[in-house]
Order: sequence, then C-alpha cells, then structure tokens
Amino acid sequence: MNKISRRDFLKFIGAGSIGAGAGLLYGKSTKKTVELLLPQVIPPEDYSPGIATWYNTICQQCGAGCGISVRTREGRAKKIEGNSNHPVNQGRLCAMGQAGLNALYNPDRIKSPLKRTGERGNNSFTEISWDEALTTLGSRLGNLKIQKHGDSVYLLTGGVRGHIDKLFATFMEAMGSDNYFHYDFTHPFALYEANRIIFGEEIIPYYDINNANYVLSFGADYLGTWISPVHYSLAYGHLRQGRGNQRGKCVQIEPRMSLTGANADEWITCLPGTEGLLAMGLAHVIMNDGGYTGSDQNEWMQAVTPYSPSVVSRQTGVEVRDITRLAHEFMKHQPGLAIGGGHTEGNTNAVASLTAINALNYLSGNLGKPGGIIFNPEPAFPNMSIKRQANYTQMLELITAMTNKGVDILLVHNTNPVFNLPPAAKFIEALHGVPLLVSLSSFMDETTALADLVLPTHTYLEAWGDDIPEPGVGFPIASISQPVVKPVYNTQSIGDIILALAHQIGGELPVALPWTQTEDYLKDSWKKIYQERTPVDATAGFDDFWKAALMSGVWGENKTRPLIKFDRLSNNQIQKIHVSQPSFAGDEKDYPFVLLPYLTQTFYDGRGANLPWLQELPDPMTSIVYSSWVELNPKTANRLGISEGDVLEVQSIAGTIRAPAFLYPAIRPDVIAMPIGQGHSHYGRYAQNRGVNPMTILAPEVDDTNGALAWSATRVRITKTEERIRIIKTDGVTRTLGRQILGNNSVHT
Amino acid sequence: MGKMRDKLKQYLKPGYYEKYDYHWGMTIDLDRCTGCEACVVACQAENNLPIVGEKRFKERREIKWLRVERYWEGEYPNIKLRFIPMLCQHCDQAPCETPCPVAATYHNQDGLNTQIYNRCIGTRTCAVYCPYEVRYFNWFTYKWDEPLEQQLNPDVTVREKGVMEKCTFCIQRIRQAKDHAKDDGRRRVRDGEVTPACVQSCPTKAMVFGDLNDPNSRVSKMYKNPRGYKVLEELNTLPKIVYLKKADSDV
Amino acid sequence: MSDYREPTYAEVNRDILRTLLETGSRYWIVFGITATIAIVCFYIPWIYQWHVGLGASGQSRSDVWGTYLSNFIFWIGLSHSGTLLSAVLHITRSGWRKAIYRSAEAMTLFSLMTAAFFVLIHLGRVWFVHWSVPVPNQMGLWPNFRSPLLFDVMAITTYLTASSIFIYMGSVPDYAAVRDASTGLRRRLYTIFSFGWRGTAREWHTLGWAYTFFAVFVIPLAVSVHSIVSWDFAMSLVPGLHHTIFAPYFVCGAIYSGTAGIVTVMYLLRRCLNLERYIREIHLDNLGKLLIALSLIWAYINILELFTGWYSGSSFQYEALTYKLFGYYAPLYWEMILFCAFIPQLIFWKKIRSSWNIMFVISILINIGMLTERFLIVSTSLPRKFLPNAFGFYFPSLVEISITIGSFALFATLFLIFIKWTPCVSIYEVKETLKPLRRVE
Repeated sequence: MNKISRRDFLKFIGAGSIGAGAGLLYGKSTKKTVELLLPQVIPPEDYSPGIATWYNTICQQCGAGCGISVRTREGRAKKIEGNSNHPVNQGRLCAMGQAGLNALYNPDRIKSPLKRTGERGNNSFTEISWDEALTTLGSRLGNLKIQKHGDSVYLLTGGVRGHIDKLFATFMEAMGSDNYFHYDFTHPFALYEANRIIFGEEIIPYYDINNANYVLSFGADYLGTWISPVHYSLAYGHLRQGRGNQRGKCVQIEPRMSLTGANADEWITCLPGTEGLLAMGLAHVIMNDGGYTGSDQNEWMQAVTPYSPSVVSRQTGVEVRDITRLAHEFMKHQPGLAIGGGHTEGNTNAVASLTAINALNYLSGNLGKPGGIIFNPEPAFPNMSIKRQANYTQMLELITAMTNKGVDILLVHNTNPVFNLPPAAKFIEALHGVPLLVSLSSFMDETTALADLVLPTHTYLEAWGDDIPEPGVGFPIASISQPVVKPVYNTQSIGDIILALAHQIGGELPVALPWTQTEDYLKDSWKKIYQERTPVDATAGFDDFWKAALMSGVWGENKTRPLIKFDRLSNNQIQKIHVSQPSFAGDEKDYPFVLLPYLTQTFYDGRGANLPWLQELPDPMTSIVYSSWVELNPKTANRLGISEGDVLEVQSIAGTIRAPAFLYPAIRPDVIAMPIGQGHSHYGRYAQNRGVNPMTILAPEVDDTNGALAWSATRVRITKTEERIRIIKTDGVTRTLGRQILGNNSVHT
Repeated sequence: MGKMRDKLKQYLKPGYYEKYDYHWGMTIDLDRCTGCEACVVACQAENNLPIVGEKRFKERREIKWLRVERYWEGEYPNIKLRFIPMLCQHCDQAPCETPCPVAATYHNQDGLNTQIYNRCIGTRTCAVYCPYEVRYFNWFTYKWDEPLEQQLNPDVTVREKGVMEKCTFCIQRIRQAKDHAKDDGRRRVRDGEVTPACVQSCPTKAMVFGDLNDPNSRVSKMYKNPRGYKVLEELNTLPKIVYLKKADSDV
Repeated sequence: MSDYREPTYAEVNRDILRTLLETGSRYWIVFGITATIAIVCFYIPWIYQWHVGLGASGQSRSDVWGTYLSNFIFWIGLSHSGTLLSAVLHITRSGWRKAIYRSAEAMTLFSLMTAAFFVLIHLGRVWFVHWSVPVPNQMGLWPNFRSPLLFDVMAITTYLTASSIFIYMGSVPDYAAVRDASTGLRRRLYTIFSFGWRGTAREWHTLGWAYTFFAVFVIPLAVSVHSIVSWDFAMSLVPGLHHTIFAPYFVCGAIYSGTAGIVTVMYLLRRCLNLERYIREIHLDNLGKLLIALSLIWAYINILELFTGWYSGSSFQYEALTYKLFGYYAPLYWEMILFCAFIPQLIFWKKIRSSWNIMFVISILINIGMLTERFLIVSTSLPRKFLPNAFGFYFPSLVEISITIGSFALFATLFLIFIKWTPCVSIYEVKETLKPLRRVE
C-alpha cells in the first residue's frame, strides 16, 4: 500500500478517466463493430480517429490480479499499461502482463470451433459452426443429465476466480456434478497449508515488504515469479529508496540465484530442500537468545530443541556463524518478514518448511504490524479457487477416474495438464478412457490438440469477468474485466459459452443460469456487492455504481480487518512444526545432481511461450532467448569437461531430456537448474518445438503433508553428448573488466 | 553578404544548442532496478519494435531500444549480479550526431537526440561512434505475422530495411503532452505529465523522467542525488541519463 | 643486362601498339573469366543484398561495419601509389617512371572505382545515396558538413576526377599514335580521343605545362584522401581506432600497398604483353627500394600503435590491443606483421630485388597483409567497444566474401578493358628515354 492508501484509493473511484484526457466509456454499445470506412457520419461513441480510448480491465496472464489500462485506437488494442487506480500494481506492469497483446493478436489463435476428424493427437480438425459445436456438446451434456449421469461430467480449469468461477460452479451443480477442479502448476499449495497450520486460515496474507526493514526470503522469488511480483516489486523499490535513509535489507536463501537473489543484499545457499531446517535453526537461536517471550515460550523451546545451529549447519550446509548472524539480524531489524516460496515449495517437506518459516514471523512478533504480515479481511465475494485447486494427488484421482471410464465428458479450460503434469501421472494415457474431451481454449495447446471438440474462447481482453486479487492488499477490493476490443476471431467468451450450454441443455439449468450474456450475469452479481457492501456513494443508483467501477477498473471498501490476536498457538499447532530432511527421487550415487526446474518471469509455467515478445525477451539472469538450457556451476562444468553449448543428456528415474549447458556462476555445484516454459509440442509457431520441458523428467514425488507435487525433488545425472550448439543470448562479456559502468568506483557526485 | 554571415553563424551555433526549450533527462536508480525487463517489453510495445525471430537473435541483430545489461561480480558463493538498463543517453555532445553525412540524426530543440528515419541512408556510422551501443540497424524489413500488426502504435512509424533506429524518449508522448498543454492554454508541460513507456511500466519506480530546465522537477532533484553517476562519463559525451548506483545496506 | 638492346622508335610504336591492336584468344578467355566472376561474385550478390537488406552480410549489432568498409579502405589504399607516385616522380624528373606510370595511374583509377562501389554496397539504402551530395533543393536540406563521411565523398570524387584527367591528359599523344596506326572505326574513335593531336610544338608545350600543374595538384589530394578515409575511423571514440596516428598510418599503408600493387601489375603486363624491353630491372629495383622504405615506416607506425595503446593506461585501449594481438583474429594479425614488416626486408638483398618472380610473390604477400590490416581494423575494434556486455564477434558472410573476391575480378575486368583502350606503356615518354634519333639498322 505504498502509494495508494485506502483514503486515496477511494478518491479514485469515479474519477475514472486516466491518460491523455480520453474518456472511459462502458457497455456493449462501445464494442460495436467498426466496419465503415472513415470518415463516418455517426461513428461509434468511443471511436474517434486519432484519439486513444483507454479501458480499465484486469490482467489475467498470471494469478496476481493486477489492474490494467488498455489503450485502444480505432478499435484496436495498442498497449497495455498498469491501471494506476489499482492498489495491486498501481499503474505498473510486468513483462508478461504487457505482452498480453500478443495473446490477443496471436496469429495462432484458434479461429473458429473445431471438431476432431482423425485420430486423437493427429491434429486433424475441421472447422464447424458455433451452432453445431454448442448443439453437439449441449446434447451430449443433456443426455448425461437426463440419464442422471451428470456426475460423469468433469470440468478442469485454470485458477479462475470471481463470478466466472461461480458460474462454472453453478453450472456444474445444476448438471449434478461436483467434479469441478482447478489445476495450476504454480498454485502455492504448501503456502496455503502452512498458513492454515499456523494462522488457522487458508488465505495468503498481505506481506508488507513496503515497511519491512528486513526481508528474509527462503527461495521466494517475489520480484520475479512469486504470487504478485509487480506488487512486491513496488514494495521492494520503496524498501530500497522510498523511505529516506532507512534502507531495508534483503536476504535470499536458495540453491540457485533467482532474480530476487540477484537483488538481495546477501545471497546464501543451502542444500536443496533444507530451507525449513534453516528456519528452524534460526528459530532455535532466537529462542535461546531470549528473543521470544510469549506465553507459549516453553512449547516453542521444546519444538526448536532438535535444531541447534551446529546440527542445522550440518544439515543445510550453512555455517553456524551465518545462522546465528541471520537470526540476530532478523530479530534486531524488525519489522521484518520471513517468506518462503520457489524451490522451498517444491520439496517433499514443503509444508513443514513453510510452516517453520511462518513460525519465524510468529516468533518475531510481526503479525498484523506494518512491515510484517497483515491479514486480509473477508473479500467481497469468496475466493473459492483455493478450495478447488487440485494438487498432484487429487489430479491422480481424476486420472484414475478417467482411466476407469468414470469420466464421460471432460471439459478443459485455460489449463494445460498435458504440459504441466509430469508424464508419470499418465494423463495422456488416461484420456483413452474419456469419450469426449472438450477444450475451451484460445490456443492450440498440448491438451487442446488432443481434444475431440474445441470451443475457442475469447482472450481476457475480449471478455467480461471479474476478479478479487489474491493475495489481497489489506482491504477488500474487486475489479471488473471488460472487453476492450471486438473479438478478433470467431470466438466466444467462456461465460457466454457456459450460459449458451445451459440453455441448450435445458431442465433446471436455465433456471439456475437465466442470463444469456455474461455481462448481464456479472451486473446482477455485482448488484449484490452494491447492496451488501459499502456503496461508494449511497445516493447513486446501481447503474452509476457499475459505471464508476467499470471506469475506475476497481472497486474497494474502506475496511480493514480487526487484528487477530496471536497470544499463543495451541500446543498442538506448535508440535506440528517439525521439519524433516527432504527426500529425493533417485539414488545420490547414480544421480548426483538435484534438478531444480524454475519458473521464469517470461513464460511462467509455460503459458507465455506462445507470445513472441516474451520469446524475444532475454532471460533476466542469463539473457538467453528462444530456447531451453541447463544451468550448472562453472566448477561442476569444469570438473566434467563441459563448456557452454555442450548438449547434455539429463537423466532422472523418470526419463531423459537433452538441452545445452549454460555455465551459471550463482548455483550450487551439486544442483542443476532448468527453466520451465519451453518444450511445447503444440501451442503455435512461436512456442512449438523449441527447447525442452523439464517437467517431463520429474519423478512423481509428493509432499509428505498435502500430497502436492514436489517438483524440485528429482535427482538427475548429466552426460555430455557429442553435440554442441550455440546458445542464443544477447550478452557478450558479463564482467565489467574493471570499467566503471556500475558506478562502484565512481567519485562523481 | 550580411545575410550570408548570419546564416553561417546560425549554422555554426544554432541557438538551441545553448538553451533548450525543454531539457529532457532521466535518472535510473540501480538500487531500485531489479532487472525484471518490464521496461524492455513496454518499449517494444510502444515503439513498434519488430519481432525479429530466433535466427536474427543468433546473428545478434535483435532490436531492443532498451536493453538490460548484466554484470557478475565476485565468484561463487560470494557472487552478485548487477543490472543496468542501457538505452540512448541523449548525450548533449553526442558522438553519433557529427558523423552522419546526411544529418539524419541531430539534436532537437528539446535537447533530444533524434533520428530521422526518412533521411537515413544507412551508413551506420552513428552506431560505430556511439559508445553506449544503443543504436540498432534494420538489417532487414521485418514483417509482423498477421494479425499482430493490428497492435502497432499508430503514433510511431514502422521502419524499413537499411535504417538506423534508437530510443527517442518516446517523443510521440512528449509531442502529445505538449499539444495538451497548448490546448489547456499552458505554456509548458507539467512535471510528470510525460512518461516514456519504460518509465511508466517500471514496477519498482526505478526510472524518473522529466525536464532538467525545471529546477523543481523530480528528475532535477534526483540529478543531485549523491549516488548519481553517468556511464562512460570520461568520454565527455554529456549523457542525459544519470544512474544512481546501488547503495549499501544500512544493516 | 649486357645483351639489352634499346628499342628503336619504330619498335616502340610497334611493340606497344601491338598490345592494343592485336587481340589473341588468350585475352578473350581471361577477359571472359574475370567478367563472369565480376558478375557472378560481385553484382549478383549485391543485387541480392539490395533486395533483402544489408542482413545478407555478416554484419550485426556487434560490428556494423564489416568487410565492405575494410575493402573500401583497401581499394582506396591500392589506388594511392599510381597517380601519387607518377606525379611525385614527374616533378622530381625521375626518368624511370616513364615506362610504368601509365599502368600505375590506371590502377589508381580502377581501384578508386572499385572502392566507390564498396561505398555504395555498404549503404543501407543505396537508392538514396544522392542525399550525401550537396545538391540545392527545395527543402533546404544539406548534407552534414561536419561528417568525415561527407569529407570522404568529396575527397574521393575530387581525387577520381583529378586522376581521370591526369591519366587522360598524359595519354593524348598516344591516342594520336593509335589513331595513326589504325583504320576504320577505331581510327575515327581515336580521332575523337586524341582531340586532334598533331604534335605541334605548341601542343607539346601546353601538355607539358598542364601535366606538371596536375602533378602538383594531385599530390596533396592523394595525401588528403587517405587521411580523410582514416578520419572515418579515428574520429570515432572506438578504442583501437581513436588514434591521432591514423592519418599518416593510413597514407603510408596506402602508398605501401599501392606500390606493391604496381609491382604485381608490372609483372603481369611484362609477362603477358611481352613488354620485357620496356618494363625492366631498373623499375623493379627502384620500386623495391621504395617498398623497403615504406615497409620500415609502416612497421614503425605499428610499433607506435602498440606503444600508445599500452601507454594510454586505459582499460579500453589496452583491452582492444590485447584482443588484436592475442584474440580470435590474432593469427591474422601476426600474418599481417609477417607479410608486411618482415618478409619485405628480404628486398634488401639485391638478388631478391632483381628477381621478377620473387618480387611478384612478395608484392602479393604485402597486399594480402594490407587487406588483412584493413579487415582487422573493423573486425577487432568495433565488436569490442566500451560496454563488455555488448561485446560481440564478427565474421564475414558468404555474400561479403563473394563480393570481396568479385571486387578483384571487377578490377581486373576494368583493367583488361583499359589495356585495349589505352597504350599501357606511354609510347611518347618511353621514346624520350631512348638515345635520340637512332636509325633502324
């Protein structure tokens, strides 16, 4: 909340217009097709040649829920910028968000509904009309409904929130099926679980990096890929230089330097998967030095006893002196934050580790304080996505159901399990048991390529929707997604498709979903907010409220949550805080390296790979474009006689992939890292047949506690092959050669 | 004869070389910059930078008006990675301006170093002379796969093969802001009214842009920051971008 | 030498005019080959490049100037000796110049033309090349007179014009000789070429006066041309190029490579056109001495360059120097040092100096070295300037290599046309060197 406080924020509501004096208009009327040659006698309302119109909507490239303003000219989207009214990103936007235009105008979008003609996976489709597509699907669904087999309809979507999620849920409920899941590879299952264990609720709190003096991050790449990067970047900037002379310190603990690690003041490596142990070590020091004096002191003392610095030092590979120093610094420079994520979340002990990291926040007493962890109030409408997210074990259940012919129709929307599940899950094989796979997607991704029926959806820039950002910003907000341009292709919005299907199927569905257009549905849903929540202006009618919310792009409420008092945790809770050693798939002797697949801020979990701007964006840490690579420490490379560009065979117990080596100076010698995102076999010309997907060699290790995929728990061995390629990167020499480029030695003032 | 003499004088010393209408400048705080490259995409979107393709990257023919350079310091495990966004520095004594035989690059009345695409004949001398290597040449005429061209910004031209291009400080935005100021009956653009795409997008607010002629502008104040330095200052090109070097932690 | 018999006037006329008037099949074969290579290797790739853009070359962000510019300097350099030497020797009244100066000047002319082609090839938008010429226009747009490239355009056009006039003027009496010896269309053409030269005393006087005037005029021009070419590089800040020594370095290198070029051309003319009686050991000997002197100056400047690079104490200069000496292209650098600084020292020996074959080989080696030198200037300095992160690498593409090869063929083609158009040895000036009024015995 660095720039926009609640009070400021409310002023924005209704102010509406941003940018170069152009008004913001709303509604269906503004989306009229522009088919006339200029000059027009009666042009559309929002359409004046030469003048840009800005629409506020929400970014849906990742789950952070940033508000965006899209600049349109003559009915075409030209640029995406952050919505300066929106408290999450305050006018700023990351590379991925800005590249949303590439998704809208992607040449490889699915241009009309498709029906499979050949064998599954042969990629032979024929174009059909929307009528045919909806009738086909509607009658299949209707039949199942009549036969009371509605529960054999499964819906798998990406992590959609807000009223579209509710629409899906209502639809599935009316169908008589409770098989509605979300699947996101990046969903922080462990974090939610850890929060539930310590704070008693499955919700991400607001991490107030803004006002923190010390940020101790255990692998969380909060500047790059972790949860809400733009918001945390804003906070980071403020922490560094926004508070006068008081510059906060950032410490990053991780086996491979991430973007956040590069920007931290201190970068410390520990053995992969031992971050939680290290946190316990810090807790031990804090307890023993009397840094915590709560009433549950004794229980804590007991909990941390096994983690003396010398033991932890042996387990983690971090020196004792660093452990004590970090603990002291952390306690001394409060308010501070301990956050965990990244590879910490990808180990078999992830929940335990994150619980231990959360415990540090508890022990330092920074809960509910500025600069610490602030709990979010009840959102305007509940975020059900967290409950619906299926982790790996739950996905396996789905796959079992598929194999056992329990799934008659599988609807997939905005998620790509074929790409984002390790092959060990046997998702593709299980599809044989599914008579009808329907993909509701804008792109021909790997899952869509296997579909029997493809209903192309609008991109988020063409569709209606709404969202409550998760994590929240400390006070309730919600934002509306509105179409900014007319549809580029013969596609429909997901909401419209569901509503049309409901009417097609008949029965109680049209009763549950009486609307025909998502916009009307959304408006009716927002009436509830208007009635139940604090209206911005009590005298204004709903239409004005709606208009104001649309124009501003975000609605908020001046309400914070009463501070939860954490006087003590229950003994039961404290006893749960116990971190064990991580386990890895593969024997250390045969597979000497731990493979760390990591998210990149360009492709995220692979969804960005079809956007040319992102393919052409040099990777921030390596400057590599358009490909995959294997990062290894120069010392390791030297020992194995590997140099940059040597193609390596990376082998785990689950499979083998080949990718060129890249000598990465900031990675532990006993681990190798690979970026996730490339290696698509479909997904359009920019993504197709480029690089490899490290997920394909992940062993199906799961978290001990919650059964989520432990995606950093695979051991591999690497073999140099004869092949050698030139890695495409933009960097020349990455040392300054003593030149005063960074100003280190500069005397200039 | 007198007229000729005046003309010669004007040629040798155009007034704007001493006193600009505006003096646009920028500061980049390396302590805030995280190297996330949001600015790079913002620039690409705003200025119609081509999608050059994998092959061209291999040949080192990419076009990125703004790039983030990275430098490693130290060795594992005491290693650091430093980022520095590198874009046209709009030098007041720009080495790139003198050698162009057709004067396709020059200093305008706002103190900007501008490139006139229409006039450029492609000798590439400016790119050789530029110590910051921020000038990018169109080795080919690049095409946009349909319908990606619908995104192109109508305020910025698309360049053809054989033309040099570079950062303009989003001159189209500056023009627009001036127009608006004029429409509002103001003589000058207010501080903060113009933000180039990169500055606008920066998630950490590391970049500040504004008028150096205005002593009260944010950028003028940031210019005086003791952490400020200019890259390759010893070449006396008088770059207009001041970088604020990374600070040490108080902790 | 002792059995050398001076030719008579008639023999001079016959021997030299024969090269023009009689054309054997060998000439046509050679001409056909060179012309084909010029078209296939030079013009076709150029047209291709014109079509797709300069990306057809190997130049990139790391090195925006490639072999086109280095070849440009090379050909300008090669052009240097001809006219300059001819003019200097004319003023200093060195008699030995008379048999060789015509072909030397022709070399100047054609290498200048080839060089000018490279300027065009190198341009991104060659179809707008006329913008670099100060033509008054409605928009009041002028070229940028501060640009060393513009100096270049002017210097080269001036030099090309002056050299053309110089060589033409000196050829007028010989055109008259051709006219007198031929019939038909050729006679009519050469009547025009020779401007109706009759050989009156007044005509000889005017020619002598004008020729000397041009000789004086051309010398500073030649020196300035290559100085200006060097400024294209030296005026940049690029480490490794930003040296004050560059102008004399370029001029000296140019004369050096030009002189070696003359030796090569002389050797070929002598062998192929049977001009042994005219192009003689004395020419070889004198040119050899000149080569030694130039190679010493060249070597000295190279040592100086190392010294200033090292003494500068700047990371940039030092880095550039180290890269040149020990980087990827180091073998080329040491090859250049070997060919241009060490091997020419062999010429100190009289025996070597008077051997046509050895001198031919040495002269070619020197020019290979000089071509390398020019290549190194662009390929070692430009990719490694100030910001290490932008460091790159340059290697010419097939199109560039092809155009480079084609440029030699183009030069050869032009020269072959020339020897059928103008007597390649000055008939009247050779006669001046003979003992007067010898009768046919």
